Amino acid sequence: MARGENQEAQTGNVPAAAPGPKPASAGAGKGAEGQSVVRRLQSELMALMMGGDPGVSAFPEGDNIFNWVGTIAGSAGTAYEGTSYRLALAFTAEYPYKPPKVRFDTPCFHPNVDAHGNICLDILQDKWSSAYDVRTILLSIQSLLGEPNNDSPLNTQAAALWANQEEFRKMVEKLYKPAA
Amino acid sequence: MGHSDAASPAPAPAARDARKKRGNRTAAKLKQSKLETRRGQWLNNSGQGNDGKDAKVAATPTGARSNAGSPILASPHPPLPRRRVDSRSRGSDPEDREEAGATGLEIGGSDLDSPMHSPGSDKSQGSGCGAQRKGFSGNGHGPSPSSGSSVWSSSRSVSDAEEDTGCPEDENEVLDDWEAAADALYDDDSHCHHSSVPTTPPPAPTTAPPANAAGPETIRSKARAWAPDDKFRPQSLPSISKQASFPASIGNSWAGMGMTAAQQGILSLPVSCPICYEDLDPTDSSFLPCPCGFHLCLFCHKRILEADGRCPGCRKQYNTASAVEEGGGGAKETTVGTGRQMANIAPVRLFRSCSMGPRY
Repeated sequence: MARGENQEAQTGNVPAAAPGPKPASAGAGKGAEGQSVVRRLQSELMALMMGGDPGVSAFPEGDNIFNWVGTIAGSAGTAYEGTSYRLALAFTAEYPYKPPKVRFDTPCFHPNVDAHGNICLDILQDKWSSAYDVRTILLSIQSLLGEPNNDSPLNTQAAALWANQEEFRKMVEKLYKPAA
Repeated sequence: MGHSDAASPAPAPAARDARKKRGNRTAAKLKQSKLETRRGQWLNNSGQGNDGKDAKVAATPTGARSNAGSPILASPHPPLPRRRVDSRSRGSDPEDREEAGATGLEIGGSDLDSPMHSPGSDKSQGSGCGAQRKGFSGNGHGPSPSSGSSVWSSSRSVSDAEEDTGCPEDENEVLDDWEAAADALYDDDSHCHHSSVPTTPPPAPTTAPPANAAGPETIRSKARAWAPDDKFRPQSLPSISKQASFPASIGNSWAGMGMTAAQQGILSLPVSCPICYEDLDPTDSSFLPCPCGFHLCLFCHKRILEADGRCPGCRKQYNTASAVEEGGGGAKETTVGTGRQMANIAPVRLFRSCSMGPRY
């Protein structure tokens, strides 16, 4: 899968998504803890594959279950309708007590997403709960697309343009570069 | 049919046994033909009507039920040569054999009833046994309580031994063993009822060697005796409940999001921790650290307390939440209190935590 390899190389270059030593090895250092994280991630993966949520999917990237690639589809009736975004999720050995690092891989024109794909979403930071999982994260980001928080924008241009949905839609389409 | 003395495990007269056996076989044939349609019917009835009848039957002072039960189980008692012929003819077809066993069981279980209600296959045997057990427990107040219970247990051992027989060549041996096993179990049960650690069976007054007699019995107690929270249960055994509950637990953890879900958490108890996905043991299940009703295991709770200390279900601080709800009792105190309450389960917890490695 050329796509997957490409993806891996990409995330490898971004320190935010993939911290130098692979999280897997960090988990291995902690033994049982890393094991329980792996178990939880495997359970989530199985649930995601069985659940079949429309517009949301995720799968581990390569052999490393600590790095996932997620896909969300823009909800109908929003400026993102018809688009599909890939995200990189990097879990630590402290998951689910600590949130994973989530980043847009596909460029996304959105008030709460910066040029590097970083997402400003409360549940990925201070409002994180260990009861969240990959599925709820992706669903939250999907709904964030249609309902941005324009009070604390990372992309001020997008925040300013939000009021004009027609123009906003044009910008979304212009900057949208779907993954190969 | 077969109202022989349950208390005396002596062989029944051969003539009557032969008749009975023939009856069994024809009954089995009949049963096979109507099995599929009846099974549903029986399953429906077994819930209400059958149980009621069983209870009634069990209440009769004659202890007819236990008597009815014994001949089947005692059917290996009859003259062995003839039995061997039977077994050889059946031996080729394991299903047939199984069915014959089920039929035997059923005759014991329901000949006072309508035969329609009997379990025809070993699939429904579980519920059949349940009904039987009910009858016997009721019978326990009858004139011969010990015989009743012993018959029950021996019946189980026999049916199990039958299931355990792998190849037809072993059939004869096992048939011989039935008697010994039943006797051994009889003695065993009168001393210690269903001890999970198999003791050496007392010498059985039969031709079968005691070692053989111990064989099937040991297997059966090992195969079935482990309760999920048994502290003697080997950790290597797969947890069926875990596997079966897996999707449900996932669903629960999904539903566990947000406030509405917190309430759902009360209504439908999750079987595994929504945080770490480990099974919840009884201590964990009764552990409600937050008034929002969000369930989680003690390990995860402790870990969250060491971090920000907020309930994953409602994001409120555990300390304040439980302080408001339980009148000053901190979350940590709650934990300890719960642990002490469930002191009898403590060994289980310890065992579990050991098996999971150094998590804390």
